[in-house]
Amino acid sequence: MKIVRPAMALCVALLLAACSASNMGRMEVDDQGQPVTKVYSSNSLLASRLSVEHLQQKTVGNLLYMQATLENGWKFELDFQYKIKWFDKDGFELAPEGQPWRQLVMAGRSQNNVQAVAPNPSAVRFEIWVRE
Amino acid sequence: MVRVLSMMMLGAALLLSGCASHVDYGDAQARETVTTDFGSTDLQMIAAKMVDDMMVFPPVVKMTQNRRPVLFVDRIKNKTTEHIDTESITDTIQSKLINSGKFRFVDMSVVDRVRQQLDYQSQSGMVDPSTAAQMGRQIGAEFMLYGNLSSIVKRAGSTKDVYYKFTLKLLNIQTGIIEWSNEKEIRKTRKKSLFGL
Repeated sequence: MKIVRPAMALCVALLLAACSASNMGRMEVDDQGQPVTKVYSSNSLLASRLSVEHLQQKTVGNLLYMQATLENGWKFELDFQYKIKWFDKDGFELAPEGQPWRQLVMAGRSQNNVQAVAPNPSAVRFEIWVRE
Repeated sequence: MVRVLSMMMLGAALLLSGCASHVDYGDAQARETVTTDFGSTDLQMIAAKMVDDMMVFPPVVKMTQNRRPVLFVDRIKNKTTEHIDTESITDTIQSKLINSGKFRFVDMSVVDRVRQQLDYQSQSGMVDPSTAAQMGRQIGAEFMLYGNLSSIVKRAGSTKDVYYKFTLKLLNIQTGIIEWSNEKEIRKTRKKSLFGL
């Protein structure tokens, strides 16, 4: 019985870990173009390993162009997805069904830049969401 | 006896309900990794990358600053061993480019139907001539979008590696010059586990 209980607990823990797929983090750039990093994550494991080092944006033509520098602070490879959401000045999301989750695999203790262009000129701010 | 029968019926009902098929809706933008074959995630990644890159390429930015050039989409050659609907890729790219407000497109796949409609409007006598669309007033495309999709597949034991390369080019029809070109590479690897699970 002493062996069975820890084994059952381990199985439950593994099952729960396998099911925790919908965790997200978020960061924003405000209306004045100032980067405001806000990470909301229900996945403490992902949040502890992945950090947003730098946020940049510029206008190309009349389209907003963003770059986020992500850092994997973990010593192993990190496999996750990210998605950019674009908003107009009234806070309406632009093309909400047109922005796919993009896959990113980062080597251990490395930095990667992710870039994206707004779908149309009405975008004034963006959010980047990440999940496992 | 009655108790045994009812228990058996309950068991059978549970078994049948367990075998019932279940249909549900999923997120169309979520990552799809059912097999290594070309899938929806690949299509979405390619379209996003191509459109993003084209929009910020300096000569294209300059070209679209004060006007909306007219493009037409030629086919994407499928050089892979898979059956892939490459028109679906160009449809997504075309939609994104139109919605950006930077480009306009002519659709060569509906030329015959447009001609029929123009003939109907000008020759049938059914349409008020003052509202009929005039022949010879369409705008000619300035650029052509075309490209290739190729793949390299390798297998070793229980491992399968698929490499896709999508190339898209923007050609100036008048000068024949390729004004922009870009590639998107995708690598997918499948490893079978020890017990094939």
